[in-house]
Amino acid sequence: MIWHIIRKEILENFLSLRFILSLLLIISLFAASGFVFVDEYNQQLQDYWKKTNMNLSGLSEQSSQLYELAFYKQRIFRKPITLTLCAEGFEKSLPNCFMFNVFTADLPEIKGQSNFTVPHFSDIDWVFVISLVLSFVALVFAYDSICGEKEAGTLRLMLAGAIPRHKVLFGKYFGTMVTLGIPLLIGLLVNLIIVVSSEDIVFDGNVWLKIFTIILLSFLYLSIFVLLGLFISSRTAHSANCMVILLLLWVGLAILIPSFGRIISDASYDIPTQAELRRTRAEADGQISQNALNGKYGPYASSFNPDLNSPHVNPPARARYDNALADAQNRITEEHHNQMLAQASVGRNFTCISPAVIYQRAGETIAGTGLNHCVNLYRQIRQYQADLKEYIRSKDSEDPESLHLLSPFKYAVRSWKTISHKAVDFDNVPKFQERDLALGESLKLAIWDIGLLVLFNIVFFAASFVSFLRYDVR
Amino acid sequence: MVWKIAKKEFLLNLMTFKFAVGTIVCVVLTVVFMPVLVSDYQERLKQYNDAVAANEAELRKVKVYKNITPTIYRCPNVLSVFSEGLEKRLGYSAKIELDNVPELSAVSTGLNPYLSIYPILDVSLVFKIVMSVLALLVAYDIIAGERERGTLKLVLSGTVARYQVLAGKFLAGMVTLVIPLTMAFIVGMLIFEFFPLVDLAGSDWVRIGLMYLASLIFLSAMYNVGLLFSCLVKRSPISLVLGLFVWVVCVIVIPNGSGYLARKIQSLEPEEKLESELKLVAENRDRELKEINKKIPPGWSSSDAGGAFNRTYYLILDKRGLEYWKKSSVLKEPVRIKYADKFLEVKQKHLRNLFKQKYLANNFSRTSPISLFENIMSALAGTDLARAQYFMDRVRMHRRNVVEYVRSKTADFSSLSYFTRCKEGDWEEHNKTLEAAMGAANEAERKRVLDAFLKWRDKKIAETAALNLQDFPQFIYQPSLARSFSRAIPDLALLTFVSFLFFVLSFVAFMRYDVRSG
Repeated sequence: MIWHIIRKEILENFLSLRFILSLLLIISLFAASGFVFVDEYNQQLQDYWKKTNMNLSGLSEQSSQLYELAFYKQRIFRKPITLTLCAEGFEKSLPNCFMFNVFTADLPEIKGQSNFTVPHFSDIDWVFVISLVLSFVALVFAYDSICGEKEAGTLRLMLAGAIPRHKVLFGKYFGTMVTLGIPLLIGLLVNLIIVVSSEDIVFDGNVWLKIFTIILLSFLYLSIFVLLGLFISSRTAHSANCMVILLLLWVGLAILIPSFGRIISDASYDIPTQAELRRTRAEADGQISQNALNGKYGPYASSFNPDLNSPHVNPPARARYDNALADAQNRITEEHHNQMLAQASVGRNFTCISPAVIYQRAGETIAGTGLNHCVNLYRQIRQYQADLKEYIRSKDSEDPESLHLLSPFKYAVRSWKTISHKAVDFDNVPKFQERDLALGESLKLAIWDIGLLVLFNIVFFAASFVSFLRYDVR
Repeated sequence: MVWKIAKKEFLLNLMTFKFAVGTIVCVVLTVVFMPVLVSDYQERLKQYNDAVAANEAELRKVKVYKNITPTIYRCPNVLSVFSEGLEKRLGYSAKIELDNVPELSAVSTGLNPYLSIYPILDVSLVFKIVMSVLALLVAYDIIAGERERGTLKLVLSGTVARYQVLAGKFLAGMVTLVIPLTMAFIVGMLIFEFFPLVDLAGSDWVRIGLMYLASLIFLSAMYNVGLLFSCLVKRSPISLVLGLFVWVVCVIVIPNGSGYLARKIQSLEPEEKLESELKLVAENRDRELKEINKKIPPGWSSSDAGGAFNRTYYLILDKRGLEYWKKSSVLKEPVRIKYADKFLEVKQKHLRNLFKQKYLANNFSRTSPISLFENIMSALAGTDLARAQYFMDRVRMHRRNVVEYVRSKTADFSSLSYFTRCKEGDWEEHNKTLEAAMGAANEAERKRVLDAFLKWRDKKIAETAALNLQDFPQFIYQPSLARSFSRAIPDLALLTFVSFLFFVLSFVAFMRYDVRSG
């Protein structure tokens, strides 16, 4: 019997104007999204390789002297990810340039990206289309599924037979999901055909798996709105009233609540201002200088004379002092960076009462874009920085002329030769290569969000089930 | 007769569920949004006041003219609560320097770049989203619904003309929508009163009044969209579905799509090009400065001290140093000022490109009444690009005044007070103490003499009085209401036209409407 109801629902929906409109809107949005992506991705990839090659050629120039390699400030740019097709994650307005040498790393910056005079636009990616347009379409399909039938008088006819209520509810749920799934899957197919048929974009197995996961996630997300529609539909007697409530709920869940994130982040998490940061840095420097005067790093730790034979120089003490200065500054930078990330996350954590926020975050996590991309890249860069330092240390130990003191004070390194001045083979120098997260790692990060989406489904299902069991069909 | 129909419709609307829910949601959202937004504004105002006070304090500490590098801060706009516009996207401050002319820039320092994952939140979001949905909900069944119920043919079987029915329905719809809008505005204003630090000037009230008017026109446009669909189709659910799809396109697709289209048509030059052009200008400047350097004999000595605005100044200079810096300032500063204008030219060329793209995106988005409304709100609130440009123009004018001021006070940078306040004999005294320290017999003696030297130096710093800057030029920035209004007029006119057009189309559709039910 359940199949009969599903079939009836689907056929009824197929013939409706809303289905045709949704189909047209969704297919055109997905097609536009595909063309936009292909065009922008190629451009981004070209830019990325140009900048990466510039960085590498800069690095190779430094390899004529080992110490120059240590001091060379590398500029690593975020690699464009193919899965921005699914979830762009505001990558265009997030920091994309990471500058560092083996001793220090700057705070990530935004370099040469978008036009700051144009207001914040979202890219029309899958997550955008699904979280805003399809969630709306889900409500448009579901709003009259119970109360509309009651108004038409067909619900009591149906229930006058031997069919139990839960089967009717299941039938309506699956019928709406299938109706919704058709424009979604056709849209995705059109989008993927456009993308795959472009010569420059190749998806590997991991990417396909992630795409498949995002599609599953999308169904999980849309199911929440279908169940919400069924729930409200079985709480109201008139379909017009149901539509009003659903529309306002949708506006709240999909548009208003996500907009609150920024204010919540600003209000609930204070990060030091630039002036405070400068003061903290100066205090840290002052403290270390004081320690140097008190002899913590050895005699003459803070004095410098290019002449190594001068009685007032002590290279090991100076190196300890300079490293202490750099370490303190690095700690402050790292802490500030962590605070910035925590501030950005807190708004999203609070706005998780909206499934749209959860879906957006889960989509970005699986796709490896957005905040997670920055965090992941920053971590990889810090790891690379440590590896490069280790490489320089090992190469330096092979040079008998060097004092073997890795210190961030370039004048001292140059005049005292505390790091080897010999050339190294550039081929053996570690080079940075960004690595995407595997699906397993991404899933681990998104597990809470997926759990929340399932929870929303269960709650709304239970609510609609109970409401429909108690529904007065007269 | 129009009034009777309007009254009947209005009373019917008042009794509807959608009206009750819509009004409650509008008021509740205003009650939730306003305190959050106003306290956010208050926080920004506090930061602004602190920054201005710190800047003033630094200005009072200035000891040499070359250190006069104050920062001008943009006062947070209280009306950004209504429409955020570019308020938080553009830089908050501009530094006044001889060798740099400030220009508009993205907000970079001091703000968390990761926060850009969040969309904008302001009160106009409530109006443009919730109120526009409400307008569609009020309008969707106004004709088609009456036809379904069979009352439309009854109404039209009398002597009442069709245009009267439509006019009555339009009036009723508008009066219905005015209620939640007015309530939201009143509640918003009341909430403002709970924040004693937030002070609304007379012109702000006028601006809020104009925003209210703009919101009314916007609502009439959205209502007329709903009315048109109601007059075009026979069944009210179809009218609603059509209206809502148009709404989704206007709210979501057009604003986001227009940004992309503009990016495609008016592509930006890569930032590397700007950087390389700036580098070229800097190289030319440095070359010119090097040429000047060749004319001045080097080999001077000094002792620097920390001054105002995190800059150092020459506490003590030897004779050659005095000569060197005098000549250097006279010859180099005009070059630096000249090149500051060249840097500006390059930056403005790049910016013009950005503006072109922005205006193009804006023009595309004007196909959506919601974007038109956004434009009007940000122009009236003073959070649009034109206001930011006006601020920067005033800052540049102020910089010119400051440069002229320094020039006149230092006789074209030739006065010693431009870079030092030391007197003759200071250098000899300084050397004497330092040499004594260097020549000390043992570490303890050296420490004692060094301490004495540091004390002497501190005394010297303390003795150097700050400059008297009572006649320092004041920064004047008075945004005018007339300018804001004139910027809003094109969009306002367009929105009025859209509203009128949809009404005329509804009229035509209603004239041809088959009122028979069944």
